[in-house]
Amino acid sequence: MTALHDAPPAAAQRRPPAGAEDGDRSGGSPLRRALAYLTLTVLAVLVLVPFAWMVSSALKRDNEVFAVPIQWIPRELRWSNFVEIWERIPLLTYLGNSAFLSVTITLLQLLTGSFAAYGFAKVRFPGRDALFVAYIATIAVPWQAYMVPQYIMMQKADLTNTYWAIILLQAFGAFGVFLMRQYYMSIPDDLCEAARIDGLSEYGIYWRIILPLSKPALASLALLTFVNTWNDYMGPFIYLTSNELWTVQLGLRSFVGQYDAEYAMMMTGAVLSVLPILVIFLLGQRYFIRGIATSGLK
Amino acid sequence: MIASNTPGRAGVRRHLMKTLGVAAALSLAVTACGGSAEPASGGGNVTLTVTVWNLAKTPEFKALFDAFQQANPTIKIQPVDILADDYAEKVTTMLAGGDDTDVITMKNVTDYSRYSSRGQLLEITDLAKSADTAKLAGLDAFKVSDKYFALPYRQDFWLLYYNKTYFDKAGVKAPAALTWDEYAKLAQQLTKTEGGKKVYGTYQHTWRSVVQAIAAAQTGGDQLSGDYSFFADQYATTLGLQKSGAALDFGTAMAQKSDYRTMFETGATAMMPMGTWYISGILEAKANGKTDVDWALAPMPQRPGGTGVTTFGSPTAFAVNKKAEHADAAKKFVQFAAGKAGAEAITKVGVVPALQSPEITDTYFSIKGMPTDEVSKKAFAPDKVVLEMPVSEHTSDIDTILKEEHELIMVGDKSAADGIRSMNERVKSEVLN
Amino acid sequence: MAHVATPPATTAPPHRRRAWRDILIGWSFILPNFVGFALFTLIPMVAAFALAFLDWDSYSTPEWVGLDNFQRLFSDENFHVALRNTLYYALGHIPLTLVAALGLAIALNRKLRGVAFFRTAAFFPYITSLVAVAIVWNMLFNPTAGPINQLLEALGVAHPPKWVASTDWAMPAVIVTSVWRDMGYYMVLYLAGLQTIPKEYYEAARVDGANAWQRFWGITLPCLRPTTFFVVVMLTIQSFKVLDLIVVMTDGGPGRSTLVLSQLIYREGIIEGKFGYSSAIALVLFVIVLTVTVVQFRINERRSAR
Repeated sequence: MTALHDAPPAAAQRRPPAGAEDGDRSGGSPLRRALAYLTLTVLAVLVLVPFAWMVSSALKRDNEVFAVPIQWIPRELRWSNFVEIWERIPLLTYLGNSAFLSVTITLLQLLTGSFAAYGFAKVRFPGRDALFVAYIATIAVPWQAYMVPQYIMMQKADLTNTYWAIILLQAFGAFGVFLMRQYYMSIPDDLCEAARIDGLSEYGIYWRIILPLSKPALASLALLTFVNTWNDYMGPFIYLTSNELWTVQLGLRSFVGQYDAEYAMMMTGAVLSVLPILVIFLLGQRYFIRGIATSGLK
Repeated sequence: MIASNTPGRAGVRRHLMKTLGVAAALSLAVTACGGSAEPASGGGNVTLTVTVWNLAKTPEFKALFDAFQQANPTIKIQPVDILADDYAEKVTTMLAGGDDTDVITMKNVTDYSRYSSRGQLLEITDLAKSADTAKLAGLDAFKVSDKYFALPYRQDFWLLYYNKTYFDKAGVKAPAALTWDEYAKLAQQLTKTEGGKKVYGTYQHTWRSVVQAIAAAQTGGDQLSGDYSFFADQYATTLGLQKSGAALDFGTAMAQKSDYRTMFETGATAMMPMGTWYISGILEAKANGKTDVDWALAPMPQRPGGTGVTTFGSPTAFAVNKKAEHADAAKKFVQFAAGKAGAEAITKVGVVPALQSPEITDTYFSIKGMPTDEVSKKAFAPDKVVLEMPVSEHTSDIDTILKEEHELIMVGDKSAADGIRSMNERVKSEVLN
Repeated sequence: MAHVATPPATTAPPHRRRAWRDILIGWSFILPNFVGFALFTLIPMVAAFALAFLDWDSYSTPEWVGLDNFQRLFSDENFHVALRNTLYYALGHIPLTLVAALGLAIALNRKLRGVAFFRTAAFFPYITSLVAVAIVWNMLFNPTAGPINQLLEALGVAHPPKWVASTDWAMPAVIVTSVWRDMGYYMVLYLAGLQTIPKEYYEAARVDGANAWQRFWGITLPCLRPTTFFVVVMLTIQSFKVLDLIVVMTDGGPGRSTLVLSQLIYREGIIEGKFGYSSAIALVLFVIVLTVTVVQFRINERRSAR
């Protein structure tokens, strides 16, 4: 039993909407606040260095990207790269394909994952734990090991070179089930018990109580699934052959040739392909840090 | 899923596939997902599928396809574009899954040996023995116990690129016939700092071939033998260049992912041994104004006392998938690409064809932007081109060991003598045992 | 393992009907996911494991060879090297990432103007192109011209490590890069986990005079246990499976100093076509990870029970 279960049963309901920051650290003296900003800024710079390099390379010629020593600010800013890339590859199609796959897979993963997690966390039946271990065990196997059997299966079912292959392979991942189940475990069972006494069915409990309470976890899962699908290279590479089905990651790799690569173009594309994820993160991060009480029980 | 040949398992599999199909149809009849809708070919027309890499960046494929379709109006070619970086992996998976793409392009001889030994390619010995292909460079590399499963259409080999501006400034003539010692001395002479920027005398890329394959070609050593003492001189030269600062050191090159094009096109090096594939690359870069390097070609440096020019290279070939849907049309294409018409088509885009003749060399040097001096032309006609890495069932295992030990020698973790000793030991104990 | 609160309700004499009802309800929740999971992950995986006992190169008739593949494994030096390197990587990557992610989450779980920017920045490494990450860190670690070594020299280190160009330091360089890349990912999970801690706990602790350090050990850490457990399990699994970053950063080199198990599986299977042997390696890796994970479950269970 987790420590949380020792809490007063109704704790989750009484939480003020302000989020769960540890007290007054945010409201300290101006000096402490300045110090906090300074530390955060230094950290942010450290973390953003490679991104800065990406942007800087996106504005160079291909043969300047690796010039020694590193040129952080290119001698000549080639904004034309950002125009040229749309002519070189059908980037809009690729972005659309990536978006379609990411959204579909994220939705399916959220739906089936959170649903199954309820079964694993809040319903007791024989064989449940063994099944759960099987789920987690599959995460431990590197994909390369079963790539070929999977491919043969898809080939026989005539699903290679279609989006079905990617969607079917990625939408039912064990990761989402595991994440949601861990989160449900930290929601006191007393809440469910109370609802049962009130006559709510298990599906009703899932839908009316657990789901609204787990918004932070759903937001995290959605974000991580979306990012993983968006950035996935090997899956689409193996299964999508027709050019019009390609995703952004495949499109960008087409700048790598047999003996050389157009790094400036690749980085231009990489910068553009990161932008949608940025937007999603900025929108989503409100949810996983907002207090659950605001969206919790009535 | 595994054993497709035993009847019992095949039955299970068929059943599973049925279930799978039903499940897929039931649970997912939501939106229409894009498929590989291939236009139905009517009226005796054939649509031939060919695996290629980076179609947009590899003009030779389009040149070949256009020429072939013009000569055979009833056959339409549909390229299957695969990313160059992981080409072998995708083709391996496709063939393992029973894919029926007609023509498979063999990016290198090592992959060819894998596919042919697994019986995934159609035997085309009859095509290889036909008269038109007698002059085909690199054909021997595709002989597997007197049978052929692919025909080369392109043959790349190594030569020395140099920056004419730096040579003129230093008052050095075109390096028509260098020994390795002269090359090293020249590299030191050309190393300088110009306007705060270091110019290296030469740049040797991080690939092991730059040291090992050239040593094998020029000493007659065998890279599959398990005895690598013939690498010693070449390592001495290379490590000497690195130590004297006349070449970018390996550790920096590796950490910097130094790209050979950057080194040459930004004028960071005066010389660079590299393959002929780079000719079309640098022609294009100059035509687009991406670089203003004034370049020319010279033969690879040689060992002292040798006669003629010996270098190494590797062919690229087309093969027919054993499960090809249109095997006859596929064979026709393979033969066309290796023949005269195919050679002419790719020569025009700056690619070196496997079929060699004086006319083709002339066509080649008439491309706009090619250096036209005699030394460059001489460099283009080496006396002997040895296969980069011999083919056998051990090729890729040995390749891995040689690469690993090469890195250890080059970063200074081991001396050349120790590295060669452990190559000998490892290849003998891990592979040839 | 899967420890669920045991309120008195279940200790009541179990009615058969109730038990059947629970099974039906439980499966009805799990089934939609399970169908897809079983068909597209579980079955291919079991097939792959069956390959470990066969000799198969994708075209020939598979031949039953029993434990031959495993016997070969134990005398294969590449396997020993890769196993050692994988353990080395995991032992560095797991604790460092955990601490970095938790630190970031706590630092960024506060009300500050512009904190959204910093959170996004921390997540950035995870979404930045892997190629860019590898190139930039290789540049930072450059033995002669890299900023890291320039800094070390300025601090008086006479012979700074050659990092990716040295067999001893390549793995630490890879670990640092991977911690940097992954910490934002796990920070997201911790941020969500921090939301489950009721604010009253902190208020009560403050009334009792606990300082920030005591509050962290007494409240934050225990309340985060479900999240930490999840993070540790995922980190363990991902560390043992590491592939992408190593391939683009060092490709296993110099020599074999950063060769890991996943890379060996990939090389022997996909590249060499020795699917049987490659599956045997995968099976061994699987057993190792499973053992570690089960131990983690047991520890978690015992701690939770207290």
